[in-house]
Amino acid sequence: MSTFELLMQGFGVALQPVNLMWALIGSVLGTAIGILPGIGPALTIALLLPVTITLAPESAFIMFAGVLYGAMYGGSTTSILINTPGEAGSMMTALEGNKMARAGRGAAALATAAIGSFVAGTIATLALTFIAPAIAELAFYFRPADYFAITVLAFCSVAVVMGRSRTRGFISLFIGIALGVVGIDAMAGQPRLTFGMMQLLKGIELTVVLVSLFAVGEMLYVASRYRSVPGTMVSIKGQSWFTRNDFKRSWAPWLRGTAIGFPLGALPGSGSEIPTMLSYTLERKLSRSGEFGKGAIEGVAGPEAANNAAAAGILVPLLTLGLPTSATAAVLLAAFQNYGLQPGPNLFSNNPALVWGLIASLYIGNCMLLVLNLPLVGLWVQLLRIPRPQLYAGILVFAMIGVWGLAQSWVDLTIMALVGLMGYVMRVYDFPIAPVLIGLILGPMAEGYLRTALAASQGNPVALVSTPVSATVMTIAVLIFALPPLLKRLKADA
Amino acid sequence: MPALSTEGQTTNEGGGRKAAPYRRPYWLGALVSAMGALWLYNAYFLPQGARYAAIGPGLFVTIAGAGLLILGIILMVQIHRGERFEPQDAEDAAADAPMDRNAFLIALLAVVLPIIIMRPFGLPITAMIAFTLVCRAFGSRAWVVNLITGAIIGALAWFLFSRLGLQLGPFFGQRSNTLFAFLGF
Repeated sequence: MSTFELLMQGFGVALQPVNLMWALIGSVLGTAIGILPGIGPALTIALLLPVTITLAPESAFIMFAGVLYGAMYGGSTTSILINTPGEAGSMMTALEGNKMARAGRGAAALATAAIGSFVAGTIATLALTFIAPAIAELAFYFRPADYFAITVLAFCSVAVVMGRSRTRGFISLFIGIALGVVGIDAMAGQPRLTFGMMQLLKGIELTVVLVSLFAVGEMLYVASRYRSVPGTMVSIKGQSWFTRNDFKRSWAPWLRGTAIGFPLGALPGSGSEIPTMLSYTLERKLSRSGEFGKGAIEGVAGPEAANNAAAAGILVPLLTLGLPTSATAAVLLAAFQNYGLQPGPNLFSNNPALVWGLIASLYIGNCMLLVLNLPLVGLWVQLLRIPRPQLYAGILVFAMIGVWGLAQSWVDLTIMALVGLMGYVMRVYDFPIAPVLIGLILGPMAEGYLRTALAASQGNPVALVSTPVSATVMTIAVLIFALPPLLKRLKADA
Repeated sequence: MPALSTEGQTTNEGGGRKAAPYRRPYWLGALVSAMGALWLYNAYFLPQGARYAAIGPGLFVTIAGAGLLILGIILMVQIHRGERFEPQDAEDAAADAPMDRNAFLIALLAVVLPIIIMRPFGLPITAMIAFTLVCRAFGSRAWVVNLITGAIIGALAWFLFSRLGLQLGPFFGQRSNTLFAFLGF
């Protein structure tokens, strides 16, 4: 069956009324959490995980996709109107967007962000539609050694790229790997690091760690350094939305942003900060108007497009290789595992309704979000009226419910408190958080690949680099690890 | 909280603040190394090789433990050489502000208390208490309103999530069974 036919089948799934409803719920929820501080798409999906046990996987993932895309739309609104980016990916938008709003062009900034997100989201979804099956096809030939090399590459890049210090990046990663080995060993059935506790036999759940790091850690951190001065919201009443001139200046940045965001989103470690930053820098370099720094529309159009394209980009390695490249992707992978599904090439052949329904829902979600966001922006910003004490208290209560609901275990609550405290310390001392989650979910997978690869070769470690793919990928991993300090040293010598 | 409360220092959490003398947070590296040592110690009792696969259940534990141990030492060396740490930016938080220890401890209490009271008293009551504590940590003194809001959120969430198939335990916790039995229900 051709890709097009499969996609049409996907639309058949996504357009079922019940799935449309879940897409709408996801989009609304996503926009809301994108606007609210303290809660992002990864945390939201983690909290929704237990609820989705009763849902069909198609419906659940369609809702998650709505949350993922919706958060990107919502984040731009607060960046532009009150200069507080709700998500890391919206930081660049705030630079020019808020200046535009202050100069009376807020409506135009919101419009270029929303339409740019729509354009980038649609193009990136198109790219996903045609590139993902091709990679999945290729991945059929990957052997355990290749997969092991890919996970090592992912480890190296998240630890090196995320955060400001390589040491701290690797510490985060190794904490994740260390937490990942807790529980019954999958192959030998031996309990590891359970300290004699029954409750630890099943291992430490990603949901618990993610919720603790993001919700509890953030709440503790903000409580300890709370600044209760709310930003001033710029009104956009009576402004012209989007002129012909705005469009003329926006379309090229949209396309360039998409071209930067999609491939970078697919690479491990870059998240949404790097693509948006690159797009902003590029637009600034290309601009001749001298308006940058005072509210240039290109500086909103480019990063917003890059942000949404990157969100689609993370789905490529996730769906085709089962490789998460960001915190959100890690929790999506956990969701797949909850349903007993392993993303990868087999998912495309065994579960076409799920994969293509999900991809089709991205097109639908994008249209929904454009309609939800542009005309209703005045309604959305009302969310910011929720007083902060009650907002953070509510976040903690929902985090607690999410953790308690997993197994009604006090051990989980204890892990939540400990990891939450760790999340606090990591914020104060600037350790990146996503590598913990990547290490936690990819560690056991890496171990499995390593064992299968070595078992096939009777334990000869050369097998790990014996295929062309594994040798190349391992070399890249080593380069990512070794090159930056080497270059630094060379520069210092010169 | 370990060394977050070293004496004579109230304003230089995270380092780099001008007001108080900078104290090097060696405990950070020590903690990482200690975790690594604990993992290594446990790995010692696990088989490193296995009959079928070439590697046993102990190998990854050893790697994780050794990695953390070494990284902790590297971090301590970096700290010794004067590595500075800047708190991360977050919304609603001033990264350069001094730490409000009381607010932090109240918020921490809201996280720790549920470990003890969740099972005996149930989710709604626990949610009510935790909610009120966090509100207090953020400076809200509207006790009654917060207690009521927390109770409503906890109760609504209990009904809603229970309907969706989530197991959240008895409404008033394990205690309720004995209580209701006592009252003759």
